[in-house]
Amino acid sequence: MHFPWWYVPDLTSPMLIAFIAIIHVLIAHYAVGGGLFLAVETGFAYKTQNSTYLDYLKRHTRFFVLLTAVLGALTGVGIWWTIGLASPLATEVLIRTFVFGWATEWVFFVVEITAAFVFYYYWGRLPPKTHVVIGWIYGGAAWISLVLITGITAFMLHPGGWLEHRSFWVAFFNPQFIPQTIARTGGALLLTSLYVYLHASLTLKDPKLRDLIGTRSARPALLGSILITVGGIGWYLRLPESAQAVLASAAVLNVLIAIIFALTLIVFILLYLGPYRNPGWLSPGFALALFLFGLAAFSTGEFIREAVRKPYISYNVVLGNQIFPKAVPGLRQGGYLEGGVWPKAFVSMRFPEVIVDGKIDRSRLLSLPPEDRLLVGETIFHYHCNDCHATTRGYSPAGPVLTGRSRESILELVTHLDESHFFMPPWAGTEEEAQLLTDYLVHIAPPRPGGMIHREIVSEQDP
Amino acid sequence: MDPQMLIDTTALTDIPAPHWFVQFFKTLGFALHAIPMNLWYSGILVAMLLAAFGPSAAKRFSARLMMQMPVIVAFGVNLGIVPLLFLQAAYGKVFYPATILIAWPWLAIVFLVIPAYYAVYYYAFAIRKGPEALTWRHHAAGWGAAVVFFGVGFLYTHGLSLMVRVDAWPELFMAHNQAGAALGTATNLGDPTLWPRWMMFWGLALTTTAAWMVLDSAWMGVREGRAYRCWVRRFAPVLYAVGFVWFAIFGSWYVFGTWQASVADAMWSMPNALLTLATGAAGVLPLVLMWWSKARTFRRWQATAIAAAQVLVIGLNAISRQVVQNIELRGYYDVLAQPTSVEWGPLVMFLVTMVAGLAVIVWLVAQAVRASAHPAV
Ligand code: HEC
Repeated sequence: MHFPWWYVPDLTSPMLIAFIAIIHVLIAHYAVGGGLFLAVETGFAYKTQNSTYLDYLKRHTRFFVLLTAVLGALTGVGIWWTIGLASPLATEVLIRTFVFGWATEWVFFVVEITAAFVFYYYWGRLPPKTHVVIGWIYGGAAWISLVLITGITAFMLHPGGWLEHRSFWVAFFNPQFIPQTIARTGGALLLTSLYVYLHASLTLKDPKLRDLIGTRSARPALLGSILITVGGIGWYLRLPESAQAVLASAAVLNVLIAIIFALTLIVFILLYLGPYRNPGWLSPGFALALFLFGLAAFSTGEFIREAVRKPYISYNVVLGNQIFPKAVPGLRQGGYLEGGVWPKAFVSMRFPEVIVDGKIDRSRLLSLPPEDRLLVGETIFHYHCNDCHATTRGYSPAGPVLTGRSRESILELVTHLDESHFFMPPWAGTEEEAQLLTDYLVHIAPPRPGGMIHREIVSEQDP
Repeated sequence: MDPQMLIDTTALTDIPAPHWFVQFFKTLGFALHAIPMNLWYSGILVAMLLAAFGPSAAKRFSARLMMQMPVIVAFGVNLGIVPLLFLQAAYGKVFYPATILIAWPWLAIVFLVIPAYYAVYYYAFAIRKGPEALTWRHHAAGWGAAVVFFGVGFLYTHGLSLMVRVDAWPELFMAHNQAGAALGTATNLGDPTLWPRWMMFWGLALTTTAAWMVLDSAWMGVREGRAYRCWVRRFAPVLYAVGFVWFAIFGSWYVFGTWQASVADAMWSMPNALLTLATGAAGVLPLVLMWWSKARTFRRWQATAIAAAQVLVIGLNAISRQVVQNIELRGYYDVLAQPTSVEWGPLVMFLVTMVAGLAVIVWLVAQAVRASAHPAV
């Protein structure tokens, strides 16, 4: 609306964000937890003068730097790229609100990468004490960057008092901040141990060292699972009421939540029985299973975090169809197309005949020939619906779910969008625009499939 | 259609910093980003060419640069955050539409840099063991990275030049949309400023590579031996001169061949004219410093002066670029007219963190320098 909508067939452009974000999250938590792991464990290895462990840690650091400083960092850039492309309005608001949060986070990034490189490249040349201190500098900076970005992502789920007091601090210390920081810290600890187990089980032959790593890394992992659970409960309790309702009402999400709890429990039990009690179990297969359970739990968690935000991109700030909530009445009055910079430009360039006195004339829209009505209907679809629905196939496509529905019933759904599902945004256009969108939806909805006998009985009775 | 119509005018949350602050950090950030970025933009290509065709000292430089490259890329990417952050804080109204129109080429940057960066590591880990350790796969990785980073430079110029070319938007939008939604497949290849800007920057990058070669040989490369440093003393001025001539040719094309009247008028009237001239001529300073002494190798003071002069060259370019960008946009969108309400608390938090962070970084680097004096155990 304010910006051009980026149409990505089938997938929808916001799904690109999700795709990159999942990869990023799985690495970024390790970038934080891994720093703490390396600091604690190099300290331990120096103290116990365990040179084989030190050798292992050096190799682990190399793997760690290669994964986090390249793929981790660049998928972070990738998130930034895709949110700007697929959710420009929300991104603009977030950047304005948090510009100094991000700028401060950047400082910690610079400290992080400097520390990481010195820690790795000068391994064996730094005095042990200094080496460990540098590990802690890395770990500390990485954890603070986690805290800073969590304040921002938590805001997207609950703006707290920001709507009344537009200040950075109010936005940052929102109700979701502490629970999410706890959960993410736990996530960083847990995920790191799973990375360590996988890496160690694949690259270490020495059973004694493997057992040592198994037991030592089990403790932060167990702590991590507890923090995730505590943070997760806090997260739920401090969700906006309507977001809690989304969880309650969507069967899929309930199943997913159950899956997460089950996965976390499984990981917890496996950790306890395995590495903690019987470190000998730590075979590559066992480590891989743990790792995959962990990844699954994490990815599901991120998915839910996204899902409960609906109908918002940034809760109570920007709606899923890229408008501010306060714009809805005006758009219903003056028209969705007329109120949007890019749809308006498109209509005026493509159909100059509907423009009267520089404005889109509502009745002229309806008198367009059928194929043009369809096209304008599709325009409305892209700007109003494509954020959450693909067209005929792909991600939550609108066509198939409307199979066989009558025109009246579709029109009813469109004009009462947020009553059909309260996690859809409210209809934000005129009656005429609803007609055009309905034209398009009828066009992409497959006809009712034949072969159901009751249809014939009913239609005979009620011609 | 009036392209102005495509710029959103809805009031947003105010910019939380004074305009001068945003302009300052955007420009400073860009200049800092440009230093390492220059070294991969044309440095990798130079390194590959020297490794293939140069004498042994040239191969040595190539190896040194490529061993440093993973760190250079990390800092370059990292420093890119600053200008992009402040750009989005104040220029969002033009930045987002432009990049959405060309969404796929713009997003390609991320997907190109990831494998190119891994290729750099792959090459760097091998060359640490000596040139014998390089197989054809390493050479392919090195050349691949050189080409990709060169191309990524193009994609940046491509995106950021479209940002100020609002008049081109309506046509691109109408040619690349699906029912009024942008397909993200448009390109800005018709922009006359695109090619000279891209090439001009590449020439600048060559000069930075030459300056880096000098600085590295005098400070970090002291153990390389005299023959190596004598070669640097002879080669660096030549490389610098080539880069500078390149920069001058494409810079002239850009300035005299593509500047619109409004930009030319503004940049050739006082005091901007001084800036324009200084930006064009600044490269002479490092060049003169390179040819200054008759010594067979670069002294440390000389290398430091050359590097400082190159920072000045890059800084002047960054400032001019910022001034031109604002002038080009002025006709459509007055960035500096947007309302600001300064949030001093977070602003100070950032500045204090930056100073503290800088202190920590200095300490870290000092540890590294001290450790380099010890042999590896
Ligand atoms: C903020 C995201 C969002 C937007 C924007 C949105 N929807 Fe939905 N819509 C959903 C979700 C979530 C569902 C539930 C999907 C499911 O259960 O799988 C849904 C369900 C539907 C359904 C199925 C209804 C039913 O009765 O089961 C239809 C039809 C639909 N949407 C049409 C639209 C149309 C038309 C628009 C644009 C005017 C739109 N949606 C905009 C999120 C959205």
